[in-house]
Amino acid sequence: MVIGKKVERVDAFERLVGEAKFASDIYLPGMLYAKMLRSPHPHAKVLGIDTTKAQILPGVKAILTPADVPDFAIHKREKPPTVVMPVLASTARYAGDEILAVAAVDEETAEQALELIRVNYQVLPFVLDAEEAVRPEAPKIYPEGNVIQEAADTVIRGDVEEGFKQADVILEEKYKTHLIQHTTMEPRVTVASWSGKKLTLWDSHKNPFRVRTEVARALNIKVNQVRILTPYIGGDFGDKAFVERQHIIAALLAKKTNRPVKLEFTREENFLGAHHRYPTTWYLKYGVKKDGTLTAIQVKLYADIGAYYHFDGAIASLEVPQRVYRCSNVKLEGYNVLTNKPEGGHMRCVGHPAGMFPQEVHMDRLAEKLGMDTLTFRLKNYARKEDGDQDRKFPYGSIGLEECARLGAERIGWEANWKKPGTSPGPVKRGLGVAFHSCRHGGISPPMSAVIKLDPDGTVELLSGLNDSGGWQKTTMAMIAAEELGLPYEAVAVTTGDTDVTTDTGPPGGSRGTTSAGIAVIAAARDAKNQLLEVAAELLKMKKESLEIKDGQIFVKGEERSVPYREILSKAPSPIVGRGSGKVPQNVLLHSFGAHFAEVAVDTRTGKVEILRLIASHDVGRVINRLGCENQIQGGAVMGIGYGLMERQFIDGRTGICLNPNMVDFKIPSILDVPLVEPIIVEPDDPYGPFGAKGVGEPPYSIPAPAIANAIYNAVGVRCNEIPINIRSILDGLEKGRG
Amino acid sequence: MNVKEHRSSEEKEDKESSLRVSRRGFLKGMATSAVAATMTSLPTPLLSEAEATPLPTGVREAVVRLNINDRIYRVKVKSHWTLLDVLRKEIGMTGTKKACDRGSCGACTVIVDGKAVYACSSLAIGMEGKKVLTVEGLRVGNELHPIQKAFSLHGGYQCGFCTSGQMMSAKALLDKNPKPTREEVRVALAGNLCRCAAYPKIIESVLSAAEKR
Repeated sequence: MVIGKKVERVDAFERLVGEAKFASDIYLPGMLYAKMLRSPHPHAKVLGIDTTKAQILPGVKAILTPADVPDFAIHKREKPPTVVMPVLASTARYAGDEILAVAAVDEETAEQALELIRVNYQVLPFVLDAEEAVRPEAPKIYPEGNVIQEAADTVIRGDVEEGFKQADVILEEKYKTHLIQHTTMEPRVTVASWSGKKLTLWDSHKNPFRVRTEVARALNIKVNQVRILTPYIGGDFGDKAFVERQHIIAALLAKKTNRPVKLEFTREENFLGAHHRYPTTWYLKYGVKKDGTLTAIQVKLYADIGAYYHFDGAIASLEVPQRVYRCSNVKLEGYNVLTNKPEGGHMRCVGHPAGMFPQEVHMDRLAEKLGMDTLTFRLKNYARKEDGDQDRKFPYGSIGLEECARLGAERIGWEANWKKPGTSPGPVKRGLGVAFHSCRHGGISPPMSAVIKLDPDGTVELLSGLNDSGGWQKTTMAMIAAEELGLPYEAVAVTTGDTDVTTDTGPPGGSRGTTSAGIAVIAAARDAKNQLLEVAAELLKMKKESLEIKDGQIFVKGEERSVPYREILSKAPSPIVGRGSGKVPQNVLLHSFGAHFAEVAVDTRTGKVEILRLIASHDVGRVINRLGCENQIQGGAVMGIGYGLMERQFIDGRTGICLNPNMVDFKIPSILDVPLVEPIIVEPDDPYGPFGAKGVGEPPYSIPAPAIANAIYNAVGVRCNEIPINIRSILDGLEKGRG
Repeated sequence: MNVKEHRSSEEKEDKESSLRVSRRGFLKGMATSAVAATMTSLPTPLLSEAEATPLPTGVREAVVRLNINDRIYRVKVKSHWTLLDVLRKEIGMTGTKKACDRGSCGACTVIVDGKAVYACSSLAIGMEGKKVLTVEGLRVGNELHPIQKAFSLHGGYQCGFCTSGQMMSAKALLDKNPKPTREEVRVALAGNLCRCAAYPKIIESVLSAAEKR
């Protein structure tokens, strides 16, 4: 059995010898390089563009301005306030907004061309802060205002006023999180090339089928005339899942010049023009009874989604207060607020990390006020299997949260080592903190499809539309295919990242890759086996019902004798091609769960925080790809440490310009910054996932920040209401405490 | 706002350009070198567009003799081109990655005369007379180098974009310090960022490669 084992990756060789071609590695004969001109102003109308000097610069081959692109919306909200993201901006809405594009023989010439282009801007007033942008007197980013509140952004359950009346303790606090970027190691890149009427795009992207559909629509061509290639992706974390301006621009420039065009973001551009994790401002008011029962949860949230409305960030984050802990009285108000900043989007675990930080710190505060152990308080209140998400009345398919907490507490020595806040001796104080995670990522969603070809030598080709964005997705699917087919893992080759050859099974996003694609792989394997049995029956002149497949052999039921796959396959008259899809299980909720325990040491003299240990305990249903699973837990947790302690994009208040669009001043965790993250894998065996699995790509990211914040409080008695926590947060807090 | 292609200036360039090198001339130059035998295994070099502008002030052109993975390449480069760009665009070795091009992340780490350096911050012309080792030079035929094998067995990579750089830093370390401590590994790889944060398994991989030496 290969399920649960540690294996080498199915594409290990080409990756490690440097031959795996990422989109940024594509260099085609005659290829041109495209560059975008970005607005230096956070809010400005483009009154005129003069490209004459650039047009005559030798080596410049094409220029696209807003007038030269189709009237296509990258995304659009049609009801008021209407927000549209066009292919190029005629009104710049953040410093970095894309105004036009140039294609030239090399990057230097393209950059020179940009410098020769004169754009006449009418500079407009801008607003950078969400709570300012909601005021009626704030500059309007769109004619109909800066606030988007969808129907779902107001959540009312029970009666919060009643709930607060029942409470013995009521606590109100304000929390904040800030703007960060995915910082994928491979920046955004698209290579476009036409061959006759067919367009091929190479991209660093995990959702090629969606790009294909949208690009075809934008260019008014048939879907089957577009091919998207995404075989290797240098990191995604949610940044690369939708159609983007670069896809259309590169395609148009390639068409115009009749040459391949590569549009590659510099690192600086990536910090501006790619998506971001949006800043949030939270007002939490929770009520609890003496015995620790939550009676009321009231939340106001401002999701600062930046210059465009990529999606409803408010509702994504409001998932947290309405789901994780049981409470029959809930009132949530979420607002998506537009500001003149880079666009928010989906980033690992989407709205949950921003919501987990405030809630988990708030729960910690409540426990302290009640005089209750903070772990016990959480264990009392988390939503049980039968509670489900407390909205749709379905139970969870499986829930291993209690075991995650128990094992994590044991590992860190919670009982033995937890001390009252600030009581550890000496200037460097130790503390323990905990945070719980629950989210609806990691489940099963459409589309689900897979194709399996059985080759005459007994090897297998799995064609899957699920891309490997770094989570070892190809390997996991190969393991599932091997297991179901009864063949060795080494016999399976996987093709992904080609819309001509694979079928849509959706992106590896929302932690759905292993589960959703995996189910389709199992179905395809079963279909292939079924066909194989038919062929075997005919060749062996037996009834199909009297044969069965086990361990790569075809047996006559009840007998010892068997024939290997290879023998039947080599004699099969036509190729065996299995295909499969899947269905979403009904009347059940698939949720992921986890618990993190952090031990920190805080130096009260310097304010420096050292994370001594981070235990990341996760309910994964059942582990399929052990190395892949551990990598996701460790990797996600370290990334989450960055969210809590290190990362923030600073936008200058006077100019609206980002001050740190580089990897020196926007600090992501290096190997020196992190402890050894100890993963604990909990396997309650989900009845719905392939071989019992649930996804785990995102959950580990969402709770290191609050676990650490809570550990810091336990160490030195300083509450941090804002992340990233830094030296100043600690020292200011210590000072306040003394005074 | 129409784009007009000015043919007349293009024609003018062809006559003026000192950059135009015919493919035949380029290959002829290579063939006379003593390492002609290596040409057959060389990936086809991408000739840069010869119709580009006359050289900007201060920029020169030169043919440099680069020793990459124990093979000699004669490449015509501009004086300000980085080793990274020459490796990737002119020689066609894309195993060394560009993630920031600013010496701030380590993805482009190669080994020059035994020392780990950032190829994005090294000039190609500065590599004359030096021995450059890239990730492509680690494998032996179809066999992985022990460091590559260790990364494979221990899963020291996720998206793989920083991996070449990590392994080159690891090699530079192990060549000098065959039995590093965990802390020494961390310090040696401190200049190689990994957004996927595969660090725990990267450390395991390097320690394992050290153990097996």
